[in-house]
Amino acid sequence: MDQTGTYPVKLYIYDLSRGMARQLSPVMLGKQLDGIWHTAIVVHGKEFFFVGGGVNSCSPGGTHLGEPDSIVDLGFTEVPAEIFMDYLTSLAESTYSGDKYNLFEHNCNSFSNEVAQFLTGKKIPSYITDLPSEVLSTPFGQALRPLLDSMNINPGGNNITGQR
Amino acid sequence: MADQGAADPGNNNNNKPEASEGTIIKVTVKTPKDKEEIAIAEDASVTQFKEEISRRFKAKQDQLVLIFAGKILKDGDSLSQHGIKDGLTVHLVIKTAHKAGDGGSTSASSSSSTQAGSTATSSSGANPSSTTGSTGSAPPPTQTPNILTGFGDLAGLAGLGMGSANFMELQQQMQRQLMSNPEMLSQIMENPLVQNMMSNPDLMRQMIMANPQMQQLMERNPEISHMLNNPELMRQTMELARNPAMMQEMMRNQDRALSNLESIPGGYNALRRMYTDIQEPMFSAAREQFGSNPFSALGGNSESGAQPSRTENREPLPNPWGPPNTSNASESGGTTTGSSTTTGGTNPSVSNPLGINPGSLGNGMFNSPGMQSLMQQISENPQLMQNMLSAPYMRSMMQSLAQHPELASQVLMNNPLFAGNPQLQDQFRAQLPVFLQQMQNPEALSVMTNPRAMQALMQIQQGLQTLQTEAPGLMPSLMTGGVPGIPTGGGIPTENPASSPSSAGTNAAQQQLMQQMLQMFAGGGGGGSATTQTPEVRFQSQLDQLNAMGFINREANLQALIATGGDINAAIERLLGSQPS
Repeated sequence: MDQTGTYPVKLYIYDLSRGMARQLSPVMLGKQLDGIWHTAIVVHGKEFFFVGGGVNSCSPGGTHLGEPDSIVDLGFTEVPAEIFMDYLTSLAESTYSGDKYNLFEHNCNSFSNEVAQFLTGKKIPSYITDLPSEVLSTPFGQALRPLLDSMNINPGGNNITGQR
Repeated sequence: MADQGAADPGNNNNNKPEASEGTIIKVTVKTPKDKEEIAIAEDASVTQFKEEISRRFKAKQDQLVLIFAGKILKDGDSLSQHGIKDGLTVHLVIKTAHKAGDGGSTSASSSSSTQAGSTATSSSGANPSSTTGSTGSAPPPTQTPNILTGFGDLAGLAGLGMGSANFMELQQQMQRQLMSNPEMLSQIMENPLVQNMMSNPDLMRQMIMANPQMQQLMERNPEISHMLNNPELMRQTMELARNPAMMQEMMRNQDRALSNLESIPGGYNALRRMYTDIQEPMFSAAREQFGSNPFSALGGNSESGAQPSRTENREPLPNPWGPPNTSNASESGGTTTGSSTTTGGTNPSVSNPLGINPGSLGNGMFNSPGMQSLMQQISENPQLMQNMLSAPYMRSMMQSLAQHPELASQVLMNNPLFAGNPQLQDQFRAQLPVFLQQMQNPEALSVMTNPRAMQALMQIQQGLQTLQTEAPGLMPSLMTGGVPGIPTGGGIPTENPASSPSSAGTNAAQQQLMQQMLQMFAGGGGGGSATTQTPEVRFQSQLDQLNAMGFINREANLQALIATGGDINAAIERLLGSQPS
């Protein structure tokens, strides 16, 4: 029964700045950032991501961001859909509830990282999770911090728990 | 063999009640809500592990699902089989007996896919109605579910992306949609409803004013509300919003205009102040407008009033830090209808973060109360300056200016302010490196940010104004004392009916003031006379000439020369005029 249900797990990576970060970051931040990364985990035929309202899901590539900039193959998981949804629901009720969203510290990428580890034991590429600290280490990022703290990213989709 | 194989509980299994062998490892068990460290024997079986876990987590063993490295740990396995070692983390899901939740979530996800397909259409459908809804002050939350129920039974899914109860969120959604899909934006723009709306300045104004950030901004900057109330301006900007090509053209003009503006000493203050005034509202507008892209919000954001902060800015960002553009400022003068206020109807771009129309600024700067209020604002709010100055690209801008003095002077020549006054131009050309130096001088910057210093400057300036009206002859001696100040003398001659000589005199006085101010800053801040060149040294040749002509009163000569800025003829007239006749 070991091999029943190995489900591929992919990480969809989107650049929220549509390439502008790549151009502007050297000027504004003083360091090169290739993008403002938003990630989502795609498994069991659905895309899952954490937004300001909680954990959302949609069909893969179904947010208005369109197709991802890149897709990372995270491997396979045995976790079946049912258990995964249980897990996600628990997450969404606790550490990833809507009000816990913080653009710098607890964002979609933290969620993707955690889910990826749950599903496959692997983490997501570090350039994604390092992004907030990269930004914050520039004076510009520091200056923008209060603003950014109040922002959150929401490309769409539906909340999995049906909550706001 | 037997020794090793035999169970040896006495040895090192102090904590483990079950008979097992091997070392104890500490495994972190992580649930979505919780995390516990469980000590277990290295070669324990999964069943044993689950027993321990069920004790700790107070859950039934068959509710536990253990996952490690993507694999589900079955009861028959052993921990070592999966490679679970000391310090590693195992994930736990406690199955709820409640299966309906799963069923619900799957149905949610299937309808979510239909939703994803229809978000595009639903958003554009929602846009005009929601915006009209806002201006009609109909409560938006009731609007949106009505619209969207048409797109499938989504009303039940309260987590609907589009169905936020908050109008602000809806706006954010709109923004994001727009951002990602330029065609959609042009579609929206072409939508006659939207066009109608945009061509109604009252409506637009209402929309803008409804934005609390805008209100704040308007409180601080009455000029903005003037601009909003100026129908001509509104129409123009709306036209702009509709027409991307025109928008681009405008942006380019503004870029050129900005580079001209930089070179004017007073204008630089205006730049700063406008930047910070707009910077703050831009940020706060971005906060509510667009969650996902801080860079776009900064880069080409809708400006403080011309475009409603809710519609997004579409034009491509110009290359902000390429060589400063040099071209006619006269173009920029023509493009706007602004009054003497500094926010005259321009949209900031990255290279023109202030959205200033320097054409109007140039005239207004020296004449208007606008400048006064500017100074006041600067003095009242040093934080603005700080923010402004600490922006990294300000520095690079100044640096690039400093590195290209010929470029800057070229720009300067075209500036209408100086166009009619070659003398001033020359002076400025000479002063330019000094000026640029000054900008880099942190002391100068600290003066700018010191509110008391700014206030003092203002007082001095006011005093100078009074003096100019009262006793024009007295001015030069004061100026010799190295009194710095922003020249506002331009306004004074108009009040002073004593006509042209004195106005020429005051223009020269302006120059003088500016020169001295620059010198003072360049010389390292602080009051005191110009450290680089005293007027006597500067006017040595003129003094000699005057002497030769027969004006032997050196003091008076000097004063006259200072007053006229080295213009001998004017000085002579002055001297002759002041002589009792």
